[in-house]
Amino acid sequence: MIDILLLIGVILPIVIGILIKVLFIPASEGISVTGAHVFFKLDLPLGGMPITEAQVNSWLVIISIFFLCLFLTRNMKTRKQTRRQIIAEWIVTKTDSLVRSNMGKAFMGFVPFIAAMLALSAFSSLLTLVGLFPPTSDLNVVAGWAIMVFILITYYKMKCGPWHYIKSFGEPVPFLAPLNVISEIATPVSMSLRHYGNILSGSVISVILASGLSLLSRKLLGGIGTFPLFRVGLPAVLSVYFDVFSGCLQAFIFAMLTMLYVSGAFAEDEYNERKKRKKAKAEAKAKAEV
Amino acid sequence: MPTLDVISINLWDILISFMNLAILYLILRKFLYKPVRNLMAQRRAEVESQYAEAEIANNNAHIIQQQWQKRLDKAEADSDMLVKMSVANADKRNEMMLAETRDKADKMIRRAQEEIEREQKKAEASMKKEIVDVSTSLTEKLIEREISPEDHRDLIDSFINDLGDEE
Repeated sequence: MIDILLLIGVILPIVIGILIKVLFIPASEGISVTGAHVFFKLDLPLGGMPITEAQVNSWLVIISIFFLCLFLTRNMKTRKQTRRQIIAEWIVTKTDSLVRSNMGKAFMGFVPFIAAMLALSAFSSLLTLVGLFPPTSDLNVVAGWAIMVFILITYYKMKCGPWHYIKSFGEPVPFLAPLNVISEIATPVSMSLRHYGNILSGSVISVILASGLSLLSRKLLGGIGTFPLFRVGLPAVLSVYFDVFSGCLQAFIFAMLTMLYVSGAFAEDEYNERKKRKKAKAEAKAKAEV
Repeated sequence: MPTLDVISINLWDILISFMNLAILYLILRKFLYKPVRNLMAQRRAEVESQYAEAEIANNNAHIIQQQWQKRLDKAEADSDMLVKMSVANADKRNEMMLAETRDKADKMIRRAQEEIEREQKKAEASMKKEIVDVSTSLTEKLIEREISPEDHRDLIDSFINDLGDEE
């Protein structure tokens, strides 16, 4: 019984998303490539806080994933695993091994974060399959994630001390420092633009193709062409690539880059050395006090 | 309904998305990874405890096997000894019985010989008497006169005794 409720919890947010779209968003006429629809705007400084389709759909995805987690981890047993338990364990072990092979053992705390990134990105992109606006084709959404990655990178670079961090910009030659700063900033920008651009271009191509095909059928078939016959088939095949494959691939690339950048930012040897030095210093101080 | 531009940057939207990712991270950590990791740890502990139990049971079985082997060896030795002992006993008894029977047979033979001798003597005595009688009667007839039997008897006895000795 609870299982069914949880499953409903998984599916209901998507249904609500579709309902919201059907009820509140007017059907677009002709070809138009626009950003997310703004439901309402809160009056706040810095240009106000628009609550858009992208935000709402992200929340729906999060709620859906939350119920999915509850559903998968319900009634787990050490023996005689249920099928969903096997799925849950598969997810955990797979992400574990992914993070271990890409980041190393010191970063095992990152496993849920990487999983969250993968899930949010992939499911957001896959929302196009049910006709919803994919939050990943909104630059702000992806930029938020990229900024989080940037913060993590900086945090791990700072772990070896602020002086070490500042010094790293002067390498290999001090006058390259401006370039280093640019490359530092370019990381999140390129990450967010890559993800956002891929998903958006997929939607754009889909829209162009669909309208082009309907135009073609109208021109070639005349009166019957009011029913866009050519739109049957081909867009679906392309959708498999642009929506499913590209969505999952971009999620994977984003997570992959996150792992590589963050683990690359952390100089483990240096950190351990610094820790040792600090410890030795503290001990010397303690001795001096005695 | 208004829409955002295709490329638009809004700090609040970025912040919301940032928070979304953080929230999903917390959700996954709490509701997916924690229970599954706990479960796996529990399972590992269970497996390990079972291994330990199996090892103990194995050791016990080994010890018991050794004990039984010892007992079996002892029983074999015991039975060997018993067989040897009983064989020896049987041999002894056999000999004893043989000796006894030999004794008995010897005794019987001796008794029979004695009897024979006695019979012989008896026969000799009766023969002597008969001979004496016959000879007396014969001599009576021959000489036709009375002889004192006592004298006669002595005479013949000595004769027969001589006769018997010569034989």
